[in-house]
Amino acid sequence: MNPSNKKILGFIIPNLIILSIIGNNKMLNPSSGGVLVFSEFVILPMLMGIMSAWFWKDYKLTNKTLIWNSILNGFIAILLSYFFLGEGTICLIIVSPLIFAFVVTGAFIGKVMFKRRDQKMNISFVSLLLFIFIADSVSDHHYENMVSDEIVIKATPDKIWKNVVAFEKIKQPNQYWLFKLGMPSPMQTTVTANKLGAGRKCIFSNGYTFDEKIVAFEVNKNLTFDIVNQPQDPEIMGHIDIDKGQFILKDNGDGTTTLIGNSWYKLHVFPIWYYDIWAESITRNVHLRVMDHIKLLSEK
Amino acid sequence: MIFRFVVNYLGFLKSIPFFGLIYDSLIKIWLCISNPQMLSWFDEIEEEVLNWDGTSISLHRFGGTQFNYQRKELGHLHSNGILDIRFSVQIKKALIADGIAREHHMFAKSGWVSLYIKNQTDVENALSLLSLAYSRRQKLQIISIDK
Repeated sequence: MNPSNKKILGFIIPNLIILSIIGNNKMLNPSSGGVLVFSEFVILPMLMGIMSAWFWKDYKLTNKTLIWNSILNGFIAILLSYFFLGEGTICLIIVSPLIFAFVVTGAFIGKVMFKRRDQKMNISFVSLLLFIFIADSVSDHHYENMVSDEIVIKATPDKIWKNVVAFEKIKQPNQYWLFKLGMPSPMQTTVTANKLGAGRKCIFSNGYTFDEKIVAFEVNKNLTFDIVNQPQDPEIMGHIDIDKGQFILKDNGDGTTTLIGNSWYKLHVFPIWYYDIWAESITRNVHLRVMDHIKLLSEK
Repeated sequence: MIFRFVVNYLGFLKSIPFFGLIYDSLIKIWLCISNPQMLSWFDEIEEEVLNWDGTSISLHRFGGTQFNYQRKELGHLHSNGILDIRFSVQIKKALIADGIAREHHMFAKSGWVSLYIKNQTDVENALSLLSLAYSRRQKLQIISIDK
């Protein structure tokens, strides 16, 4: 085989194999409900790096070339996920450090594996990775979390309450880098009535709307709402379910009020140690954008 | 500095499978952007050591490239440029006195020494140290065969 062809195959074949594994996994395991398990972001990129290293084993690739080739491989995988798996741009930005780190790690594991030429050891190691992938894919995955934030507003609860229930459009520019990159940010909230059971809508910058139902309505104290319908945005679809939101107002007795914002969500992407950092950060910035706006309106 | 922080305060993470390797990969990616020359120096060291009879490389369990002679470790090179080699305590003292190596970044009381690769001269020193470790290992092997 022409040597340059083998080098190119090191990009094409591993990507095609990994894409087909993910596709087949989705088809054969429909009960997963679109959950993306940790193996898809950890084991498969590592296997991709190992496979590429096999195609490149006869070339004396420098460390630098091996790293750049692996980054290119990761980039191709991300592009394929965009086109064939329908993932959103922000999601892919979030996932990219994981992909790059594990593809590079796999390529270096592969480099030493194929230098040793210990077939038994190599087959055992790859089989172990595949076993972890299968075991992880068929296991149950469930994760819930709550994020809480608070700010102090220089106003009494009765002045703040109406702005908590519904508020006009937020005009302040976004500060959070993911919102600046195009992730939808909260813009406005409307309510059908000021009472328990009323409908509420949280409208985002791209026009998407979260439909909510008020389940606790204690004037000047507590507004809790269930999310009854969330937008089918590729950035969140299947990855996170926002279950419930809450605003608590605590009168500090000195003309100020502590406003607490709570959100409950379920994550469907794993590993949690990675994705929950992002989920918490995004939820926190949604909270703060809304709460800062409420503060601005209430302190007028 | 970050490496020292991770080693001193996040050392417990090394018990997680692959953590060391992944951390090392992140350093490699960073070097590729910030200081690719360093990666060329690593290639130089690796290529030279692999020319010696009976040597091989593997991945070090805490990240980096491990150099072996007859499958026994000669030393290892972390991707932040720290080369660690184990000698006897007497040899270690002599190397430190001559200014060739420093105390190991973690195990000061052992025979381990560290060398920080920052320029071409350090690459030559690294190869001298690895060559010394290689010669010692060869001699030890001959002695054990004679016995």
